Amino acid sequence: MHAHEISIIRPASGVRSREIAWRLAELDDQLTLLLEELNALSPAELAWQMTPGMNTIGMLLAHLAIVEVFWVRAGLLAEPETDPLPVLGIDMDADGIPIAEDAAPPVSLNGRDLDWYRDLLTRARTYLAANLCERDDAWLDQLRTRVRRNGSTHQFDHRWVLYHLIEHFAAHSGQILLIRHALRNAQAALPAADPR
Amino acid sequence: MSVVHTVYRPPGGYRSERVAFAMWSLDEQSRKLFDDTRALSPADLEWQPAPGTNTIGMLLAHIAVAEVHITSVALAGLPNSDVRSVIGIGMEEEGLPLAGGAPPSPALAGRPVAWFHELLAKARIHTQGVVRGLGDDDLAREIPRPRPDGGTRILDGGWALYHLLEHEAGHHFQINQLRHLRRVLAG
Repeated sequence: MHAHEISIIRPASGVRSREIAWRLAELDDQLTLLLEELNALSPAELAWQMTPGMNTIGMLLAHLAIVEVFWVRAGLLAEPETDPLPVLGIDMDADGIPIAEDAAPPVSLNGRDLDWYRDLLTRARTYLAANLCERDDAWLDQLRTRVRRNGSTHQFDHRWVLYHLIEHFAAHSGQILLIRHALRNAQAALPAADPR
Repeated sequence: MSVVHTVYRPPGGYRSERVAFAMWSLDEQSRKLFDDTRALSPADLEWQPAPGTNTIGMLLAHIAVAEVHITSVALAGLPNSDVRSVIGIGMEEEGLPLAGGAPPSPALAGRPVAWFHELLAKARIHTQGVVRGLGDDDLAREIPRPRPDGGTRILDGGWALYHLLEHEAGHHFQINQLRHLRRVLAG
């Protein structure tokens, strides 16, 4: 039986703005693709480091969820309090990013399985969608200004936030696949397990 | 104190607003990719963390090759692409997918970063030319494509525009990961 593959994006349903519906559909496609790719990974593989001081797949998955909630709170709602804790149950620093030189992954992520990360990512996406579904196209043009941790000012519009969430998710997905490739190479280099 | 502006300004000359936004997104992505790779030497570009692993140069070439191919078949609606006529190299030279244990693509050896940026710029000019006159209806036209296994893949222009962005972004951070790894391993 030959495979029949569909590569078509349909706008998300139940969303007032057509443009926002496209962006949500693209984000959901990214999440589905990434979770499919990682389906077989164990907690130990999710916590594997290429070398000390490098991000793990688990750290990056937590980072994706944290950043999504952050941009809703800081970018779309302009809330003074931006911690993802009320939404995700973990705080802004739980991903361990940026990791210090030669550092190990955060202990709080040890032993976490893919279901735990899937739950984080799903909660973040549900929170994003709930804050977008009633917005109209004019809202996408609204300007926001925020002061960054380094004191510089960032001016952006809501449309940019949605663009950034997609590029950010896709970029870290690519990074995660590279880490998985390196993990497979490392596993292949190990002597075969003694079957006895 | 510095001010960073990341505000959408629709680029002119596109029939469809959806296409205009997609092209702005791609140009934003490429601007950052160029900034992140501008200082790399030919040795950086052909460094492999292990045999059988893509180099930064291979990934840059691959982004350009893929953009021309996807644009040709999914947005121009051509039965196939002629990547070489657009950017000067073909699919074989990018070296992807690299066989296990293989060295980098020899066609890219010694190339400076400006050469790779030129590939990317030529691919983008080609994309702009193809999509400029497309309307939203054109983006929704379904295109069946043969798969290597004999099956069929159905895609449309809307997916292609989204895929160009996610594809470039994914490889962009793979490139950044390789840059970081090279620095770490070099001590």
